[in-house]
Amino acid sequence: MNSFASRFIASSAENEIRQAKAMAEEEGLTDAMWGSDAGFGSLVTGHAFNVPAVPDPSAFLRLHTDDHADPNCKIKIQHGTTTLAFRYKGGVIVAVDSRATAGSYIASGTVKKVIEINPYLLGTMAGGAADCQYWETYLGIQCRLHELRNKERISVSAASKYLSNLVYSYKGMGLSMGTMICGWDKTGPAVFYVDSDGTRLKGDLFSVGSGSTFAYGVLDQGYSWDMSDEEAQELGRRSIYAAGHRDAFSGNTINLYHVQEDGWKFIGNYDVTKMHYEGPGPDVPGAPVGGYGYDVRTHGRFSVLPTAVPA
Amino acid sequence: MSRSYDRALTVFSPDGHLFQVEYALEAVRKGTCAVGVRGADVVVLGVEKKSVLQLQDPRTVRKVVMLDDHVCLAFAGLTADGRVLIDKARVECQSHRLTVEDPVTVEYITRHIAGIQQRYTQSGGVRPFGISTLIVGFDPHDSQPRLYQTEPSGIYSAWKANAIGRSSKTVREFLEKNHKDDLTRDQAIKLTIKSLLEVVQTGAKNIEISVMESYGKVTNLDLPQIEAIVQEIEREKEAEAERKRSRLAATAAGQAAMATRAETPGGSGQ
Amino acid sequence: MECSFALTGKDYVLVAADTTSARSIIKMKIDEDKIKTLSPHLLMAYSGEPGDTVQFAEYIERNIRLYHIRNLYPLRPQSAAAWIRRSLAESLRSRHPYSVNLLVGGFDTADQSPHLYWIDYLGTMATVPYAAHGYGSYFASSLLDRYHNPDGTLEEGLATLRRAIDETSKRLIVAPGKYMVKVVDKDGIREIEL
Repeated sequence: MNSFASRFIASSAENEIRQAKAMAEEEGLTDAMWGSDAGFGSLVTGHAFNVPAVPDPSAFLRLHTDDHADPNCKIKIQHGTTTLAFRYKGGVIVAVDSRATAGSYIASGTVKKVIEINPYLLGTMAGGAADCQYWETYLGIQCRLHELRNKERISVSAASKYLSNLVYSYKGMGLSMGTMICGWDKTGPAVFYVDSDGTRLKGDLFSVGSGSTFAYGVLDQGYSWDMSDEEAQELGRRSIYAAGHRDAFSGNTINLYHVQEDGWKFIGNYDVTKMHYEGPGPDVPGAPVGGYGYDVRTHGRFSVLPTAVPA
Repeated sequence: MSRSYDRALTVFSPDGHLFQVEYALEAVRKGTCAVGVRGADVVVLGVEKKSVLQLQDPRTVRKVVMLDDHVCLAFAGLTADGRVLIDKARVECQSHRLTVEDPVTVEYITRHIAGIQQRYTQSGGVRPFGISTLIVGFDPHDSQPRLYQTEPSGIYSAWKANAIGRSSKTVREFLEKNHKDDLTRDQAIKLTIKSLLEVVQTGAKNIEISVMESYGKVTNLDLPQIEAIVQEIEREKEAEAERKRSRLAATAAGQAAMATRAETPGGSGQ
Repeated sequence: MECSFALTGKDYVLVAADTTSARSIIKMKIDEDKIKTLSPHLLMAYSGEPGDTVQFAEYIERNIRLYHIRNLYPLRPQSAAAWIRRSLAESLRSRHPYSVNLLVGGFDTADQSPHLYWIDYLGTMATVPYAAHGYGSYFASSLLDRYHNPDGTLEEGLATLRRAIDETSKRLIVAPGKYMVKVVDKDGIREIEL
């Protein structure tokens, strides 16, 4: 990655100063000490993280993790997932499934795919579970430091940009993450999509993972900005159910979160199978009577014309 | 590290002074005066301009500069040092936008500048910056005007109104007497010019005024505008002097009358 | 798939870019602005490798802005394009080159002339009257050879741009749905509803 400041060095006089600066940094005197590297001192000086000591780390990683090419590969990275997040007038809804698959094997059905970065920020997990967990926790540390240095909470835009710059600096080294950074700041509710390509998109509605197409189908059709809180939570739940039902690599349970002005709240955990047959139940606001499943939902209705019974 | 030991210019004197830093402050005291005044929803920077030589291009001498759309800086001291520091600050402003998307807050860039200044008092082979700065501006999504000061030592602080440079003590005392909270735009400009006139004898042509009214809205007053305000101030001063004179005359007359009354007991007034 | 077009006319440059952000078969966003305003009279449309595009464009944006703040006047289009090309060429020889294709359109206020530059990810730069990147270029280049008018009015330029976009939509199987169109002329930059 191109270091911004070093690109401006034009004259030899400036070079002198740069050397002095480099010397100062050598003695541990960096801008970060004054809290003025946009609060992100360690990024500027270069974050140190170990990568495999081979010429091409991503090829090395692929060799040992690519399940398609070699079903007996040593490391199986968790891939299948459905996560979604959307923004509406009442805040942000974040909903995810809880299945972890390694190849064709369901490794776990109780994975927490929403990462609680801090009381105001949530991140979702798709792609490599370890990558998401590690870097989003790391993001939490940086957000706290930003808060301490600048006496105000980090904006969702800044937090997501920090993550995106970070993963971009590891581009081509095998990171695999697709995440939504969600929160509420001075600008209101905000959702950013960040992935390991370095893409970062601001938007109203995103879904990521192998089941995302199924979630989109329900989510896009049911979405509107002016939904009530109950409608929004129901939409999130139902969209993840849809993916859990159709996508073999998603399912088990749904975790639902709601972000409002005063931070996020965990709404609940819902079993996909139970959603299919019974639905969330009568005491969940916004939920319909009965299950989400097609045959449950349409029970007793037929498309065949009633045939005239010959007399 | 022995290398950095013998490279150090700024070392403590036995009684705890950093002479180089104090000399830098002396350089600031020799620099032209700069004043910052915060009003209710406006912030004004005024500087004393050195008279340019007859053949010099006045546009190449700038003491008030923009760091970004919404932050303005004035300095007093060594102009050449100022240029270096300003450039570092400008790079940081853009770098900040690049890394967190938001523009810098005024306090942030002040802290950054003060941080650089501090570093140059604690590093080998360098000397401190011979400048103090006044930094004004508005934070994004905020209507509160801000005014900060930094010094060669790396100290920074927020102010309602302040002055740096030549005779800054006189100007600061003047501001302390005359500054009120919730100054309007015109009042703030007038106070700035008035305080500068305490040290600038040559009047409007040696004064430069920049006004920031809201996020990114900056105007520099031109000479006729400043002249008009200077004249207004002079008229007021004259009127005030006139009042004082007549009041003095009245008291003198009164005293004289009293004296005559005292001299003639049982006089006419009874 | 990503498409961008640009053309010059009498005293203006039109720049159009699709507004879709895709990941595999999914459109993640349909209203992404891929045309950056670099200075009051300079536009840059970017496309290419996800991640690289925005990183590079923002890096350029901030540097051109810095130039403006330092010198009180903006970089002229010719110089800006040359600097952008050089940045790309230097990155090409680094360990992590940016794979970004660009269209740089600007209006030079010094001599009142529009300028358009076509730049690809290898650092090739060409001064052109009209240009395109992506699959759209296979349809648009011949079409613009035939219909472009270098001293056309803004209306005429917009009509020609519409032809290119319509043709692409008609024949390209992966044609993008929506475009953002911006114009730069002596009055600065504004967005135009096509």
